[in-house]
Amino acid sequence: MNAQRISAIFEKDIKDFMKNMMLLMMPVIPIILALLYKQLGGEEGLPIPMLYLIVGVTFSSVTASCMMTMMAEENEKKTLRGLMLSPASFLDIIIGKSLVVGLMSFIALTISLVIVGIKPFLNVQAIIGLILLFLFFLFLGIGIGLFTKSIASTSAYLMPVMFLFGFTPMIDFLGLGEDSTAIMIADVFPLMQLIDMHDTNSWIPIGIVAIWALGAALFTYICFKKVRTDD
Amino acid sequence: MTSFKLDYEIMKSEILPPFSLNLNESNITGIYSDTDMQAELIHMLYNDSDVTVCDWKDGLYDRLTVADNVAFYHKWFGCSIPLPEILVLFELHMCAKKPLRKCSHSEKRRVQYAKYFMMNTYPMVFQEPIHGVDVRTINTFINMLKRITNNKIPALILVSNMEHALLLSDVAYRLQEKGLQEIEVDNVKEEDVTTGTEPAFTPSTVNLFKIPAKIDDKVILFDPLEIDYIESQDGKAMIVINDESYALDSTLAEIENKLEAYGFYRCHRSYIVNLQKVREIITWSKNTYSLRIDNRVKSTIPLSRTKIQRIQEMFNL
Repeated sequence: MNAQRISAIFEKDIKDFMKNMMLLMMPVIPIILALLYKQLGGEEGLPIPMLYLIVGVTFSSVTASCMMTMMAEENEKKTLRGLMLSPASFLDIIIGKSLVVGLMSFIALTISLVIVGIKPFLNVQAIIGLILLFLFFLFLGIGIGLFTKSIASTSAYLMPVMFLFGFTPMIDFLGLGEDSTAIMIADVFPLMQLIDMHDTNSWIPIGIVAIWALGAALFTYICFKKVRTDD
Repeated sequence: MTSFKLDYEIMKSEILPPFSLNLNESNITGIYSDTDMQAELIHMLYNDSDVTVCDWKDGLYDRLTVADNVAFYHKWFGCSIPLPEILVLFELHMCAKKPLRKCSHSEKRRVQYAKYFMMNTYPMVFQEPIHGVDVRTINTFINMLKRITNNKIPALILVSNMEHALLLSDVAYRLQEKGLQEIEVDNVKEEDVTTGTEPAFTPSTVNLFKIPAKIDDKVILFDPLEIDYIESQDGKAMIVINDESYALDSTLAEIENKLEAYGFYRCHRSYIVNLQKVREIITWSKNTYSLRIDNRVKSTIPLSRTKIQRIQEMFNL
């Protein structure tokens, strides 16, 4: 790890982010969604599942999607070819990019949560939950970004991530029975666990989300090993 | 004096002949070969010697400005030369604020020069570094090579154009099926013997004089005035007209004597130029010169350091 390289990548990617319309539109999505939901919610504020829906949209459309797009663009244009002279420098690139994505996600999340009411999230347990959720989506984005060869293909990979993990609370609207297997499986997903946490106040959901994040980290590691050996 | 050795004496390749070559750190080495051999050589360099070849295929950041691009590489590679100096060295200060996607091919190439320069690999290998770029860019590349030799890093240049090989390198080699041979450059002593010793041709035959060249079994007679220049390839003289070349039976020295009266001049050990067709004398930094020919393909041929004065006298410069 080399702080100078990380800051070089960070500065470069921040500048690039500001000039790339495709990336710049991503943080706008959850903010617009938050504005719409606020109109629907009326006086007494939104229910917890709706708040987590916005969190899910932010993390999937900003964190995972921007990470994937940035990595895919580097792959597509072969801009990293001369830079990766050692595996250590590859880690620098990923950390630098994660910092950019982290900053953008934080801004988008804060703005949209302030719009719909940030109060339920202002406790240690909820913040830890959000950080773990962020890591989960970040690792997912890095892992997919490692093997995508073009920007066009990222949207194909993004769709399942968005619907499975970003829109999980929407499964209630599908009208499935309370004891159907789909609901049972969806209940273990990170977003549903965090919604549960607000009802029960127990720490078990945090543990389960941590396992999800570890799983995503493992997925990233496998992708990384595979990409390195392919070269 | 240290050097980097390329050893391909035991070969697995069908295209390349076995050879070994020492890259000297105080010289720029050039290898002139056809594109197939060049590709094979690059393949070998990547796989066997683990050498990074600057082949211009790396992308740059199109949305960022030239200065942002260079600043990023500057920081990433931890370059010790200050950033403004790098921009001036590669003549990028004029277009520093321009987004890279709006830059010309030559400007982009200069950004790539800067990137490879800061990357500082050992040794530095360049593939076709000045192919299709403008005169200014060629000059910045020559300056960069000077810096590289000052830094005591061996440099190798792979080209498929003889003129580029002679212009850029101090020691040039030709790579063929037969093996690797050194191309002799600027052998002053020998030149002095050949030039100016023969008397001019008798005027009576001048009007009828034609140069015979063979293509397959036909013999074509060329009017001296239509010839652009004559170059030497493996000791044989070749007439070049636009992008076509025709083999002659005689050597360059023989043909030089015959053509002197028609305004031809031996401007380099391996070149005789038709002075009527010279459009431009290009002066590169590092005291090297080229002649641009006024033909369709605008070919450039090398002009020896020792010959520049004579040329200037001829054109009353």
